[in-house]
Amino acid sequence: MKVLNTRLITPRLCGLLLLIALPLISLLGLMTGPVFIPLADILSMTLSGDSGNSQEKLIIEIIRLPRVVLSLLVGALLAICGALLQGLFRNPLADPALIGVSAGASVGASLVIVFGSMLTANGLLLGLSAISVGAFAGAIITSVIIFRLATGPQGTSVATMLLAGIAISALAGAATNTLSYLADNDMLRRISLWQMGNLQGASWDRVGLCAVTAGFLGLLIPREAGALNAMLLGESEARHLGVNVEWLKRRLIIYSALGVAISVAVAGVIAFVGLMVPHLIRLLVGPNHRALLPLSALAGAILLVAADALARVVIAPAELPVGVVTALLGAPFFLWLLVVQRRRS
Amino acid sequence: MLKIVSVGLTISAVPLLNNITIDCPRGSVTALMGPNGAGKTSLLKVISGEHRASQGRVEINRQSREDWKPAEIAQFMAVLPQSSTLEFAFTSEEVVSLGRTPHATGTVRDAEIITAALARVDASYLAQRSFVQLSGGEKQRVQLARVLAQIWDHCESESECEAPTDGILLLDEPSAAFDLAHQLMLIDIVQQISACGVTVVMVMHDLNLAAKCADQMVFMNCGHCTAVGTVTELLTPELIKKVFSVDAQVMTHPLQGTPMVVV
Repeated sequence: MKVLNTRLITPRLCGLLLLIALPLISLLGLMTGPVFIPLADILSMTLSGDSGNSQEKLIIEIIRLPRVVLSLLVGALLAICGALLQGLFRNPLADPALIGVSAGASVGASLVIVFGSMLTANGLLLGLSAISVGAFAGAIITSVIIFRLATGPQGTSVATMLLAGIAISALAGAATNTLSYLADNDMLRRISLWQMGNLQGASWDRVGLCAVTAGFLGLLIPREAGALNAMLLGESEARHLGVNVEWLKRRLIIYSALGVAISVAVAGVIAFVGLMVPHLIRLLVGPNHRALLPLSALAGAILLVAADALARVVIAPAELPVGVVTALLGAPFFLWLLVVQRRRS
Repeated sequence: MLKIVSVGLTISAVPLLNNITIDCPRGSVTALMGPNGAGKTSLLKVISGEHRASQGRVEINRQSREDWKPAEIAQFMAVLPQSSTLEFAFTSEEVVSLGRTPHATGTVRDAEIITAALARVDASYLAQRSFVQLSGGEKQRVQLARVLAQIWDHCESESECEAPTDGILLLDEPSAAFDLAHQLMLIDIVQQISACGVTVVMVMHDLNLAAKCADQMVFMNCGHCTAVGTVTELLTPELIKKVFSVDAQVMTHPLQGTPMVVV
């Protein structure tokens, strides 16, 4: 019988390619924008510290560098959380929206936009505007509700969680729509822009917050790779392999809710990264989480920096929301993958 | 090694098991048999820890099952479910490697065990194939290799075994998807590992196949244990009629001398 290897490349090669792409894409991200900054200027700025052009230096330091770093972190967070949730739900089509984080965040953000105009005038908390704080709170509250609904005396039912997630997301969607209906024109515009996701608000404070979260999760999540692999066999099979499934589920839900909530708080709802990136990596190197988790983080980082760079130039000097770009690029690409996958099997 | 002491199980007010007592000594092979819904799988789930017994207890190595940590049990007890729902494109080799999750024996030793386990179930040629594309019987063989890999240290000759306690293997209808040759392969594996001290409990429907390797047979019906005994004691037309409602003749195998059920 013929031997069929379904993998396209080895995890090592994939990692190497991504590690090469990461700095290149990041440089591209620094160069592009309403004001084009040539590569030579960036290099001389970083290498010699000498800035021929103080305006360029300001743009890089205050605007582009924090934005690129923030995109890296948010992209990595979204992708690794997506991989985590797909493993938890044992469904390659699961994404962070499933546990209600995105919908809850939208309610939180809309509430602040509509009713909290006095708040937004006040100072920032950890570099977050009141809208971000609202989004974070909304995200965490909905995930807690969904988790509670799905947890009974028999443990947490992943299937119930999926259904509860859909129902709560619908409810949250209705709440957001009601808020949009009550909002005036300016508020309405801000709500819909927020829901499209963007990285315009990047600042070093936000980068710090994201970096701490990403660092924390980056240390904890890869330790679950073996247990996640066992979970793919099924919950009882994982239990028979010595995994404490109940605690594992709790940890995974906490990690992903935290990761997605932080990224939604700083960048709004960015579609498709959490769904598509782990799926793509799985097609390339297979479903082993030991490779999948770190590679997804890397690829998510690259994808979001690239998408954000594109968002800044497509209709320059104006900007497209980055969530629009990820969906515009992501959806057709994803469809193409599905078609290719069907043809191969 | 494994004792089931007056176990009862009630889930959502439905009694599934009632006062079941079975003693499985070290290295014995026990076949659980009975009509559909008799409670065979439920009993297996009580032993594997998936259900907690409502009454009675399960003892492993003279210690109550509750007192063992899940991670400890996973080092010597493996469970093969009826069917698998794996939908991610692991290779067969990777699926088998998951059986080594509870152990920290290092990648070199694990790789040896994985290769040997795949060879043992006649699935070496499937090693690099994607699990999701395999046929039902092939999947079940790979899963069998996975559970064998999990307790591999207990399945080799006695002298090499340094584990604190002996292995236990629970099989739920392991041969259902197998062709004839692989059914015999399964019997051979069960006999070999039980000879090395692994205690095997399996749910089976094929009376003749079970008769080939079981030291002890358990007939179950409606959550009750109708009869426990050796193959010769249980395979009688009267008991088969009582448990399975089937008129059967019992003959003797011309070469092996074991009882043979003919319907």
